[in-house]
Amino acid sequence: MAKIAITLEINGESHEALVEPDRTLLDVLRSELGLTGTKTNCLDAECGVCTVLVDGLAVNSCLYLAVVAQGRAVTTIEGLAPAGEGLAPTGTMHPLQQAFMDHGAVQCGYCIPGMILSAKAYLDEQPRPSEAQIREALAGNLCRCTGYQKIVDAVLAASGRMAAGTVAS
Amino acid sequence: MSRFEYHQPESLQDAVALAARFGAEASFLAGGTDLLVQIERGRIAPRHVVGLHRVPGLTGIEVNGRITLGARVTHRSIERAPALAGALRCLVEGAEVIGGHQVRNVATVGGNLVNGSPAADLVPCLLVLDGAVALLGPAGERELPVERFLLGPNRTDRRADELLTRVSLPALPPRAATAFLKAGRRRAMEISVACVAARLTLDASLERCLEARIALGAVAPTAVRAHEAERLLEGQPVGPQAFERAAEAARAACRPIDDVRASAAFRQHLVGVLVRRALARCVERARLAA
Repeated sequence: MAKIAITLEINGESHEALVEPDRTLLDVLRSELGLTGTKTNCLDAECGVCTVLVDGLAVNSCLYLAVVAQGRAVTTIEGLAPAGEGLAPTGTMHPLQQAFMDHGAVQCGYCIPGMILSAKAYLDEQPRPSEAQIREALAGNLCRCTGYQKIVDAVLAASGRMAAGTVAS
Repeated sequence: MSRFEYHQPESLQDAVALAARFGAEASFLAGGTDLLVQIERGRIAPRHVVGLHRVPGLTGIEVNGRITLGARVTHRSIERAPALAGALRCLVEGAEVIGGHQVRNVATVGGNLVNGSPAADLVPCLLVLDGAVALLGPAGERELPVERFLLGPNRTDRRADELLTRVSLPALPPRAATAFLKAGRRRAMEISVACVAARLTLDASLERCLEARIALGAVAPTAVRAHEAERLLEGQPVGPQAFERAAEAARAACRPIDDVRASAAFRQHLVGVLVRRALARCVERARLAA
């Protein structure tokens, strides 16, 4: 059962990898490409820490084969800030990342990449959501620190800023 | 070492030929949200996985009299299809309560059917809409009603060399409406403790039931129609008394189990409540649309 050569487009860059076909996108992102911002936990589509965007839609990368991601645009948390790589200086964060910092919406932090990507996918579709809609959009992302209120506050604040066009999304 | 070999056919013919070649050693991959979990847990161990992503013609929602859902139509597409927002609304209500957005963005109607879970939320909706599945195999295509397709927990009538390509629903008559209701232990990310889909067609006076369909999920080895409850409604004036009789018959039609999510007795109780509410909702919707 041979490995397959695949080309993945991740955060606008092309990556080549030689992978076993049963490996998940999550595994390839973390183990082959060193993109460890995408977290690993339940491997069961319950917790959402592995959320990435595929062609703009949030998916659980733990249940998504890397071979299936070929030819699609993958966005991970590393690709969200305009600065692109490393720790971007304050002020160049994506509005969602900035809002999470402003609202202290991060406790242990493990769920946050997934939270932010789920929120981004939803805001791209619904720029002016209600609080209830935000909660529904984040239902597939668990925060074990139970910091939901501040997370929802941050997404609400980011949606206001993004929709007002005061910052680039 | 990979647990399976991966195939990416680009036509239905090639997909079916691969299934014919590998038989029970092959699994089709659509959204993967059930298949990959089962492989990960060691419940199944296919030597060949046949990805359907490059096979054209499986992602359409067509509404022209009949309604056709391609096997790879996602729950997300059902939620957002304008054509399903009216009388077919139970499909939207069944699709939008499955998993989180991440699952609904990839999980498909074909996968939901083929997986054969007794708790699959879309399946009762397809039952009340008189859905029929199309299965394409080496000998050609056959169609059979969803009710006959479902055989037991994780068991369907699909043969290993057959691909479920679509589910078709006949056009609804005028003054028909549908509803789907689900009870879980919490409001999101929950497997149904019990769920109910209903469809009522009213007569011209909007007071009498011409035709009824009721289907129950998570309370029997497969999703099931409550035929006796339907029969008790047809020809009768709609209202609380008729709904209570139907609810009683639906409670009698289910064969629930005790498990970690709920007791059998509670499931049976829920079925009665959900049937009454779903029927009332159908009447409201049919009258509103008329």
